[in-house]
Amino acid sequence: MLQLVADGLIVGSVIALGAVGLTLTYSILRFANFGQGEFMTWGAYLAVSALTFVLAMTGGGVMQPIEPFSFGWQLLVALIIAAVLTALLALLLDWLLFRRLRHGNAITLVIASFGAALALRNLLQFFYGTLPEYYSREIQISLRLVPRDVMGGLRITPDQLLVIALTGVVVVGLHLLLTRTTLGRAMRATAMNPALARVAGVDVDAVVRATWVIGAMLAAVAGVFAGIVGQIRPMLGFDLLLPLFAAAILGGVGSVWGAVLGGFIVGLAESFSVPIFGAEYRAATAFLVLIAILLLRPTGLFGEKR
Amino acid sequence: MIPALEFSQIEGGYEPGLPILRGASLSVMPGEIVALLGPNGAGKSTLVKAAAGLVPIWSGRVTLGGRDITATPAHRMVREGLGFVPQTENVFANLSVLENLLLAAALVPKARRGTIDAIFTLFPDLARQRKLAAGRLSGGQRQMVAVARALIASPAVLMLDEPSAGLSPKLVGLVFERLQAVRATGVTILLVEQNVKAALAIADRAAVLVEGRERLVGRAADLADDKRLAHLYLGGGLEEA
Repeated sequence: MLQLVADGLIVGSVIALGAVGLTLTYSILRFANFGQGEFMTWGAYLAVSALTFVLAMTGGGVMQPIEPFSFGWQLLVALIIAAVLTALLALLLDWLLFRRLRHGNAITLVIASFGAALALRNLLQFFYGTLPEYYSREIQISLRLVPRDVMGGLRITPDQLLVIALTGVVVVGLHLLLTRTTLGRAMRATAMNPALARVAGVDVDAVVRATWVIGAMLAAVAGVFAGIVGQIRPMLGFDLLLPLFAAAILGGVGSVWGAVLGGFIVGLAESFSVPIFGAEYRAATAFLVLIAILLLRPTGLFGEKR
Repeated sequence: MIPALEFSQIEGGYEPGLPILRGASLSVMPGEIVALLGPNGAGKSTLVKAAAGLVPIWSGRVTLGGRDITATPAHRMVREGLGFVPQTENVFANLSVLENLLLAAALVPKARRGTIDAIFTLFPDLARQRKLAAGRLSGGQRQMVAVARALIASPAVLMLDEPSAGLSPKLVGLVFERLQAVRATGVTILLVEQNVKAALAIADRAAVLVEGRERLVGRAADLADDKRLAHLYLGGGLEEA
């Protein structure tokens, strides 16, 4: 039981971060960005390249893990580099594609994002191949936090604990950005009413660029976290796309805390479905959650009717 | 004297080939309250939206204190000193009253920035509601937030699009009383209104817009008794009055 909760929270952390980016871009750019999953994959792979670069520059080419984790400080530097590069990739995509379509139909933007996602995935396979990658090949021994006779016990690796903790830090940081800074208020104002934001003095184009940067950076962080607790694969982001949408819709599109809660609920639902239906049906759980939300509460937990 | 705000032969509209403004001209002198009146569809709201940068201007010129702002993007108007309060959806409903004001203040240079305390002195009701989401306020209070949001950027000219729309007569009186207090601080006001009586009561001058151009301009006190005003509202021409 406890183990299922922990597994759900680990997967939920990755989903939550991706879903927050998705919900932000939806509320401000006003379309569902199917490329969000690919930003996760690109973030994870760019961190592989950045890690190789950082290791080469710091000599030795071997990462010394910071005990008790499986990775060293170089991965954290690589994470920052990857997040910046993913943000630049998002800005490039906006400049090449979405900027030209912004004043048209939202469906056009959705289909364009679908096409962009396909292009990004294939481009990534062209550059990196299809074999799985790892940030570290160190074997980590999981810690027993709860004995087996208490609700089935709980074992978790330090990496997994760190991912859950860092997700909390990132989400609180984003909350502070949105509520305590001018950029955050301008983003919320633009999400509410772009025309009023303009006459109030908000440079909406700058807000759009900031949204791409923040959404892509969150996706990159989520992708790296997924790589830390698992494999880095070209389908990493695509496979998480449905859970991302389920989490964003469950939380209420536009709500950051809703997306976080939605991410954890979808993660937990997937985790609890394994002993009931088997691991092969794990991915279908997000589908069921999505259908249930759309039938019962289409506006989500914290969403408002528009 | 250089007009605080001047429209010269403005032509424009939302769709190419479908003009709403057909050569509108109007001068607003510093410190004045000018009421912009006219029947529905005359182009009153479109004219102020065009000045605010929200509606394309095809020809003509808008100047603010003598500076040409015709092609200035909407988000730069506040920095230029032109404030605008739209008729509807004029507050950020998801932001608190204080956040509405903090955002508006942060978007202008420090030298131009008004203080929250000064705004709350002018609108004491808002001080008590500062933490409440603006979307949860009453219609009158929202209108106050909208005006306060525009004022905190210390505009030289404030344009308001039908601030009395949807308000009870008592609240209209309150809003217009506040506008007079705003004018007393040195802000020039261009007021688009359907409530002719209330607008003429506080305005120095008024202009009547019909089919996208001004048809009658004069002192508010004179226009209040002018039969031509009613005639223009009923769709007639000046010649027939």
